[in-house]
Amino acid sequence: MALYDMSHTAIMKQFPLTEPVLLILLSLAGQPQHGYAILKDVERMSSGRVLLSTGTLYGALRRLLDDDWIERFEEKETSRGRQAYRLTPQGRRNLQLEIDRMKHITRLATLRVATKES
Amino acid sequence: MLAAYRKLLRLYPAEHRKLFGEEMLAVLAEEHDENAGRKLIVRGSIFLRETSGLLAGAVHEHFRSFTEIHDELSFVTGRFAMRNGFRFPKVTIVFMLLILGGVLTAIKKGQDIASSVPDVNPPLPVHIQSVHSILLGGMPLFFAFFYAAGLIGWGVMFAMRRSGVHRLDQVAGDKQPNH
Repeated sequence: MALYDMSHTAIMKQFPLTEPVLLILLSLAGQPQHGYAILKDVERMSSGRVLLSTGTLYGALRRLLDDDWIERFEEKETSRGRQAYRLTPQGRRNLQLEIDRMKHITRLATLRVATKES
Repeated sequence: MLAAYRKLLRLYPAEHRKLFGEEMLAVLAEEHDENAGRKLIVRGSIFLRETSGLLAGAVHEHFRSFTEIHDELSFVTGRFAMRNGFRFPKVTIVFMLLILGGVLTAIKKGQDIASSVPDVNPPLPVHIQSVHSILLGGMPLFFAFFYAAGLIGWGVMFAMRRSGVHRLDQVAGDKQPNH
């Protein structure tokens, strides 16, 4: 876990997020998930286009944990006591920033393309 | 398949295995169980994807642990975390000997300069001036040389994972099993 709060510049350097990382964060935005559920959710959200391997997933989770975007906890509800992941407030804020950035690009692209066509 | 995955997981750094090893194996087992009834070609492609993912992940994690600037010793943030369980790594002795060598060499150099100045009373102003200029010019060079030697030495020890940083990291990992 990061020992210090990341500066705005340091956070902005991480954008744009890669598609797998964005999908992992979106998967955790709704509810906490464990590893396999994230894999399946990413596959579902991307209509089977993004197929993460376990190695790739845990590499991304590791970085997100280190940057304090997500946190790890033990699921109490299940008998096996699996480790699950959820977004931290900082992670949610950063995800929102990325969504706003994408919205801006989409708006801009729509305008430009429409101007070109007319 | 699971035996192969288990073997591939051994390629990861120990610290990563300790933190995620069991969990990754559980995910792989879950995936294996769910796809057990599917066609061989599908299972084969999943196996290939997982194998390449584990191999790439292991390389990436080794690279990350090799190049990572640890927060505990970060020159960028200027934070140097102190721990109660502070250990005295063996490599510190090497650095202390290196510094001692530097100090002894500087003393020897000073003595040489002193002996080269004629013992005239009162001393000649020209000679005194030259001794001062030699000292002022030489000392920063000495410090720079030994500082650079120390940094290179530390870099080599860090690359060999003998600098003590990785061991301290493990100590931190033992205290914080969950993030």
